[in-house]
Amino acid sequence: MRRTAWQRFRRSKLATLAVAYVVLITIIAAAAPMLTAGSPDAIELNAHLQPPSTQHPFGTDNLGRDVLTRMIHGSRVSLLVGYSATALSLIIGSLLGALAGYYGGAADWIVSRLIEVVLCFPFLFLVLGIVALFRPSIYTILIALALTSWTTEARFVRAEFLRIRELEYALAARASGAGDSRIIFRHLLPNALAPVIVSASFGVASAILTESALSFLGFGVAFPTASWGSILAIAKDYIEFAWWLVVFPGVAIFLTVAAFNLIGDRLRDVFDPKEG
Amino acid sequence: MLVYIVRRLLYALLTFIGITIATFALIHVAPGDPIQYYVGRGAITSSSAAAMEAMRHEFHLDEPLPRQYAYWLKGILTFDFGRSVTAHQPVTTVISDKLPRTLLLNVIAFIVAAAIGIPVGLWSASRSGRLFDRGSAISFFLLYSLPTFWVALLLMDLFSIRLGWLPLFGETSDGYADMTRAGQLLDRMRHLLLPVITLAYGQLAIFARYSRSAVSEVIRQDFVTTARAKGVGEGAVMWRHAFRNALLPIITLIGLTVPYLISSSVIVEEVFQWDGIGMLYFDSIRARDYPTIMALTVVTSIVTLLSMLVADLLYAAADPRVRLEADR
Repeated sequence: MRRTAWQRFRRSKLATLAVAYVVLITIIAAAAPMLTAGSPDAIELNAHLQPPSTQHPFGTDNLGRDVLTRMIHGSRVSLLVGYSATALSLIIGSLLGALAGYYGGAADWIVSRLIEVVLCFPFLFLVLGIVALFRPSIYTILIALALTSWTTEARFVRAEFLRIRELEYALAARASGAGDSRIIFRHLLPNALAPVIVSASFGVASAILTESALSFLGFGVAFPTASWGSILAIAKDYIEFAWWLVVFPGVAIFLTVAAFNLIGDRLRDVFDPKEG
Repeated sequence: MLVYIVRRLLYALLTFIGITIATFALIHVAPGDPIQYYVGRGAITSSSAAAMEAMRHEFHLDEPLPRQYAYWLKGILTFDFGRSVTAHQPVTTVISDKLPRTLLLNVIAFIVAAAIGIPVGLWSASRSGRLFDRGSAISFFLLYSLPTFWVALLLMDLFSIRLGWLPLFGETSDGYADMTRAGQLLDRMRHLLLPVITLAYGQLAIFARYSRSAVSEVIRQDFVTTARAKGVGEGAVMWRHAFRNALLPIITLIGLTVPYLISSSVIVEEVFQWDGIGMLYFDSIRARDYPTIMALTVVTSIVTLLSMLVADLLYAAADPRVRLEADR
């Protein structure tokens, strides 16, 4: 069964390419210290704003720091935020969605109202507010993203639970004396995860995009930690002289976000019985 | 229908209360004492204990939290959000000063996105699986993945710095007052162009994808098959049957794009130095101007709430299935 899903997934060459890219960039992020010679924060003032050369393939920034080295280390921030924020919102969203869908009634009512309230806040306003007021750091960003994005997962899990809680296997589990928590976690949740996996892939893309925007606006990870968005923040001030500062980190964000979006889109087609 | 409207309004009221509680709680959980902060920044001339106590009293900070919340909620209902700490003006005045600029930008971007996105989405649905459909699907996907602030930088770099065709930022040029009427209009349009493109492209992609999938949903249904079986021409099937029914879910999308637009405004206005609500929010966050932050959070959320409410009611008015389901 799992094999056929992967086989169907592979029929899209673009999506397969996206998976390969994601694997590659994840390995690069994990092995960043081994891949780079110098420190990402090593300042070399007499070599500032140098265009790409054999010594600095992506050039240097305003303090003479090697852009490629900073980008390799910056990939850690992007992916760490992307994966962890999504994992957190997946946990919150699945739990609340499961409670609402399984018990219905008051639990459903409360969770639904909560979702409506969170949905009303313009996403970036809320994230920017939380991050700025609670002192910017990678953890604040994680929490802010998780608190604002769990609603998608919760809605999907809730809808799936409403559909499957009365199916025969759930009734059979209940009839054979299984408790609520066993039915929820062992029987229903694993079967409600397909749409959640799709939204998780989009979630990683959106988290990476938001983190880079926050870093760009100056509310990202603490100085001098390298991140793709913070390189672009520097690029803004040197846009006339240093095209390499604008192009490379921007392309990195774009490719990574696009890859996760493409994977999510392909997964949706694979899980959707209506399409091939 | 009446039952549906009443219930929907009651829920909206509940959501409104939830929004105010969440905003209030967020601000009060955040670390740091605002008064201390203002003293540190020289916003208060005297840092004596008595002056700080007086300010604490003025902002009701010496009272229990529930009462502080009640004061604030009462203020919201009368459009009184207190005084901005940085602008030394009532927050309501500051916001209504900047709101028209943001509205102008957003309304134009919205119209551009809808006018291009929806037709392209409908067109590609009618060419399902063919080259145009697959090509546009992928390009909108890539468009949607482009970071807004990066696009803004690239556009500024190309059109303002390298080609010199368009102004870098702001709303008007230096000699605006001396221009002729037509010159002024042209000048404003030249300043609007890049921010509008930046704001519109992501939305355009959402509109196109959403309207495409809305049409695809309808095409699968039996009545479309019936129409085809009766021998209705393909053009008529698309126009009379598929598109008209697909327009309903597109109404809902309009409600959902409002928070997206407001969010993007923060980035676009900051990059293009467009003196609207987004930039105001950014500046107040940086200056920890609590009354303004709270007011903007609540106001933008209420705008979102209202747009979703209107979209829902429109949908129910147009589609009897929705209100029947709700009345049951």
